[in-house]
Amino acid sequence: MKSTLKFSTILALLSISCLTLAEDYSAGKTKSETCLGCHAIPGYNNVYPTYKVPKLAGQHADYIISALKAYQTKERKHQTMHANAMGLSEEDMKDIAAYFESLK
Amino acid sequence: MIKVIKISIIIFICTLTHLTNAGSYQAGKEKSQVCAACHGVDGISQIKMYPILAGQHKNYLIHALSEYRSGIRDNVVMKGFAAGLSDQDIEDLSQYFSMQQGLKIPPLK
Repeated sequence: MKSTLKFSTILALLSISCLTLAEDYSAGKTKSETCLGCHAIPGYNNVYPTYKVPKLAGQHADYIISALKAYQTKERKHQTMHANAMGLSEEDMKDIAAYFESLK
Repeated sequence: MIKVIKISIIIFICTLTHLTNAGSYQAGKEKSQVCAACHGVDGISQIKMYPILAGQHKNYLIHALSEYRSGIRDNVVMKGFAAGLSDQDIEDLSQYFSMQQGLKIPPLK
C-alpha cells in the first residue's frame, strides 16, 4: 500500500512538472513571435554596425534571461532590443528563454 | 612589362593579407584555450549563465568581442579577456567558434 502511494505521488508530481514544462514551451512560443522577425530570418543583418542577428536556437535559457535583463536596464546597448525588452515581465523572459533553449 | 609584374605582385600580397585577416580556424583553436574554461572546449558552455558560442555567426562574435574590448559592452569578466586581443585574434577566435556545431537559427513557425 505504502509503495503504491509513493508511486502515485511520484507520478502525480511528474505529471505536474510535465504540464508546467509544456506550458512554458507553448507560452514561450507565442511570446517569441516578435523575436522571430529578426532572429529567424537566415542571413538577416543588423546595420550600423553590420553583423548578422545572433542565432538563438539552442542557447542556454539562463543566458537569454540575463541578456534580456541587461537590455531592459539598458546596461547592454541596442536600441531595438531596448524597445523589445522594455515591456517584458520576469515570466515573459523565462518563457521566451525556455522556448529558444528547447530548440536544440 | 615590369609594371604589370609589379601590379601582379601587389595583388598577390594583398590577397595573402586578406586571407590571413579572414581568420584561421587552427589559430583560433589554439587561442581559444582560455575561453574553454567557461564556454566549453566544444563551444557549449556547461555553466548556463555563459552563452553557447558554437555555431554562432562569425561577424556577431567579432562584434561582441570588439564591444567587450572597447568597453561599450561592459562585462567585468569579458573585459579582462578581450582587452588583450588583437584584431587578428578576434578574427581567429570568431572563425573557430562559428565553425563548431551548436546554435541554430530558430524556425519561423
